[in-house]
Amino acid sequence: MTGGETPDVVGELREILARATGREELLGLSEQTPLFGDGVGLDSLTGTLLLREVHRRFGVDVAGEDLNLDALATLGTLAAFISGRPDGGALS
Amino acid sequence: MIVKCVVWDLDNTLLSGVYLESGAQPPPPDPAMVTAAAQLRDRGIIHAIASRNPPEAARYAARVTGLDFAASECGWGRKSEAVRRITADLGLAPDAVAFVDDDLYERAEVSSAVPEVLVLSPEDMAEAVGWPEFSPAVVTAEARRRGEMYAERRRRLAEARAFAGSRDEFLRYCRTRVTIAPAAAADVPRLHELSVRTHQFNTTGEAVPEPALRELIGSPAHQVTIVRLSDRFGDDGVVGGCVVELGPGRAWTVTVLMMSCRAMGRGVIQALLAWLARSAAQAGAATLAVPCLVTPRNVPLRLALATAGFRAAEDSAPGGSGGSPPRDDTAGGSGGSPPRDSTAGGAGESSSAEGSPGEPVALFSRSLTGPPPELPDWVTGAAARGASGGVTEP
Repeated sequence: MTGGETPDVVGELREILARATGREELLGLSEQTPLFGDGVGLDSLTGTLLLREVHRRFGVDVAGEDLNLDALATLGTLAAFISGRPDGGALS
Repeated sequence: MIVKCVVWDLDNTLLSGVYLESGAQPPPPDPAMVTAAAQLRDRGIIHAIASRNPPEAARYAARVTGLDFAASECGWGRKSEAVRRITADLGLAPDAVAFVDDDLYERAEVSSAVPEVLVLSPEDMAEAVGWPEFSPAVVTAEARRRGEMYAERRRRLAEARAFAGSRDEFLRYCRTRVTIAPAAAADVPRLHELSVRTHQFNTTGEAVPEPALRELIGSPAHQVTIVRLSDRFGDDGVVGGCVVELGPGRAWTVTVLMMSCRAMGRGVIQALLAWLARSAAQAGAATLAVPCLVTPRNVPLRLALATAGFRAAEDSAPGGSGGSPPRDDTAGGSGGSPPRDSTAGGAGESSSAEGSPGEPVALFSRSLTGPPPELPDWVTGAAARGASGGVTEP
């Protein structure tokens, strides 16, 4: 699991986000846009859907490992967090 | 364990006959089952349908029984899968669900696939109305309307899916009103109920007994707050609450924070956290702290805290070194990390954040320097105790 797989992770995450929020335009989300606040506007509902799907697809329990959920800062930080985990980046 | 939802089979269970074999005139409801279901509804227990029938059968059953169904699964798959989907859809744990079916095979299939579910025959159900599992200690006004509120939720979700716009625009379109007010004695049963029933948005995972709540409401060192929610689809009543300890050194500590998962995605927790930060800042508090159990169950609450700018102290990592052991400081403030109520003593303390063994408590806090956070425009908030000037908005 090297950084080389990150682009695939990013693509998967865009799909998960678009589905969790019902917003197609997130398929084109930049890796630097904040997921909370004015960026994507993730809330507890859409955030929970995202975390659940990340756990299911990548086997990474972000909430269990990252107390402050800093991994959810941007698409890029979340992809890096997943790819940096032993099971991360393994697309099922 | 109290049952929160009963999942009903239709043919020869809730209906006295087989829907698809009855031609132009579908079978009438079974009077004994409808009576039992109505009694349970009045105790705040909701209903759902799992039937091997077309979806029209569920609509027919709702019409002839006069019951609201929070979810219905009509199809020819396994009943255990239908029960699982209903459980997930309503955000319930399987051990809070009962399943009633006249067919021995279906009952065995559900029992073996989801053993936590309480599986009953119609004959069992008629009697089970008197069982402790179906007899919640408190029945609040919110509980009696629970079935209707799930039906309102279904209509709201259907509109949300069709709505083109942001979540905030949808909340405004729904004419969402979040009202934050000091708790009164009359709110005690509902606050107690919330402390028992909420898991996804609950900082302590502990029931707060009614006497403790009454004591906290009367305590000058505490502020107990309730949160009401309504919109064009209906009135959800009191959906959340919190207890703030007004500690020495201008420290505000939220010793209990809880919200019904029914209010999830409707701007309520965001409103409450913004109101708390604003009130604390206006009261001149130096810090606003939220000790919070770190468990997989309340991840939605941690997301809300993160969104609202709260951060946990570095040394209280989940499952890691330095996490606050849950039981080392229960006896009044001498022990340890999360500051908690050490002023009132006794029964008032049962609100403190004790987890199950092995579940650490992390201390989340938010800076109060800088301009106070904006309240979303769907919030009406009373002034907090000690706050200079109200934050009431139209």
